[in-house]
Amino acid sequence: MLKIIIPTIMLIPLTWMSKPNMIWINTTTYGLLISLISLFYLNQPNDNTLNSSLMFFSDSLSAPLLALTTWLLPLMLMASQHHLSKEPLTRKKLYISMLILLQLFLIMTFTASELIFFYILFEATLIPTLIIITRWGNQTERLNAGLYFLFYTLMGSLPLLVALLYIHNFMGSLNFLMIQYWIQPLPNSWSNIFLWLACMMAFMVKMPLYGLHLWLPKAHVEAPIAGSMVLAAVLLKLGGYGMMRITTLLNPLTNFMAYPFMMLSLWGMIMTSSICLRQTDLKSLIAYSSVSHMALVIVAVLIQTPWSYMGATALMIAHGLTSSMLFCLANSNYERIHSRTMVLARGLQTLLPLMAAWWLLASLTNLALPPTINLIGELFVVMSSFSWSNTTIILMGINIIITALYSLYMLITTQRGKYSHHIKNIKPSFTRENALMTLHLLPLLLLSLNPKIILGPIY
Amino acid sequence: MAAGLLGLGARRLLAVAATRGLPVAHVRWESSSSRAVIAPSAVAGKRTPEPTVRWQEDPDPEDENLYEKNPDSHGYDKDPVVDLWNMRVVFFFGFSIVLVFGSTFVAYLPDYRCMGCPREWNGMQEWARREAERLVKYREANGLPIMESNCFDPSKIQLPEDED
Repeated sequence: MLKIIIPTIMLIPLTWMSKPNMIWINTTTYGLLISLISLFYLNQPNDNTLNSSLMFFSDSLSAPLLALTTWLLPLMLMASQHHLSKEPLTRKKLYISMLILLQLFLIMTFTASELIFFYILFEATLIPTLIIITRWGNQTERLNAGLYFLFYTLMGSLPLLVALLYIHNFMGSLNFLMIQYWIQPLPNSWSNIFLWLACMMAFMVKMPLYGLHLWLPKAHVEAPIAGSMVLAAVLLKLGGYGMMRITTLLNPLTNFMAYPFMMLSLWGMIMTSSICLRQTDLKSLIAYSSVSHMALVIVAVLIQTPWSYMGATALMIAHGLTSSMLFCLANSNYERIHSRTMVLARGLQTLLPLMAAWWLLASLTNLALPPTINLIGELFVVMSSFSWSNTTIILMGINIIITALYSLYMLITTQRGKYSHHIKNIKPSFTRENALMTLHLLPLLLLSLNPKIILGPIY
Repeated sequence: MAAGLLGLGARRLLAVAATRGLPVAHVRWESSSSRAVIAPSAVAGKRTPEPTVRWQEDPDPEDENLYEKNPDSHGYDKDPVVDLWNMRVVFFFGFSIVLVFGSTFVAYLPDYRCMGCPREWNGMQEWARREAERLVKYREANGLPIMESNCFDPSKIQLPEDED
């Protein structure tokens, strides 16, 4: 694991000591090389874990998430180059350092083997993200957004700290690899119910669960592009990853404790998808779509069947790439018209046909078109939830329909139809933007050819 | 090939048009094959009049159009050399190194799921399928039965002596 961590740490001196015109080139290059190294961890020969050291390990669940995190850093750098071009040099370097620091914490979070270490890094990821949102966001609402983001997550995770310390006291160790073998069924008592709640609420807030999702539209909308990308693609998956790890300790309470959260997720999926149909703000639409997709992951993780775990893992990776790509597309609009309103930049297909192709592909993957991994994830989750309870298929079916509706609504509003006459002021697409979209899309399509690496440890 | 918006040089035209408006004619030209005429505008120095209301979609005067100074801009930087090298670096390391080598690495990953104890973990299925096809092909070609009903070779089994 050090072969990823040390190069990531060294990216920080690289940004501060590079020549001013080379900072972006250097960081993007080395970021891409680090992502190449992280692919080695996808070689997971069996159900067991690859233990790099006493502190780090990688699993079939954490390796794809690790690859996603390291792949995203160069993409974030490419996406941020334009809006930072007018900033003074020190501020650019600071921004890049924040991104690298966030990447470092995320890598360590996904590979931490001890749960307190995981918790510390889970909280540590909040700080660079908060700085990115509140310092470099574009509107005044960013301060409110940062506040919501920080405090929702902190409120959820403070009980988690207490719960982890209790479990450590009780079991003797919190090393995830060891407690797997020491688990005993948790007897049903009030204090264990609170223990269950304490463990899970942090991840529920992070996912986010429907009732606790208010921070997400604010944070995603107010964050600059790199902030939105990393929030949507990786930070939400921290919640899913954490849930999948911690539910191993909490059986059999999950059987009945899960019900309220299942209800919230199943209903919340439909609610947030429906809200998407009424959005005028493009980034807000994509943010609510993230809530909807993550609600599927919550349902999958709470059901705890082999198929649902496979679906949850696949859906996390697929949604990471798709959502990040949609935010990049929204940003390419924003950089031209300085507004997130969808109807202000409509009929773009006539002017920017290549960008329209990326919009089409991103919308198609968002609505889970076969044979993409989005479909594999959604389908596995729908099937396993049907076997858990037959009635859920109605809700899941409605959600799939509404997802298709709002994805196509977004596509049609921005790309099709008659353009406004302001379209003549829109500059042609840059190579940078097309490369960014391709770098998002190609891994997604390549994974459709070989999905077994993202199906997680149960495959 | 694709004319109009997709034509060669159309990008430059669009880029210029985005901030400076469409170029105007300076001389009069009449087509010999049709009745088309392109003429300089009758009112001298005419440009689209300044709009009285500023719309959200109007181009931001502080926005720099990277295409103005460098019509071949790739969108990375104002400096054309840095811009070009940034583009090359992204394409080389992003596509040629990571995507190509990464995909090759992932495609050639060994057959998943516990190579050590395949029966328990349902592993080595792809190998098992290939091996079965190979054996079937060999046995059919040589006229041998595809499978024998004996699991082990009967001649190699040594039974203990019959004891009366």
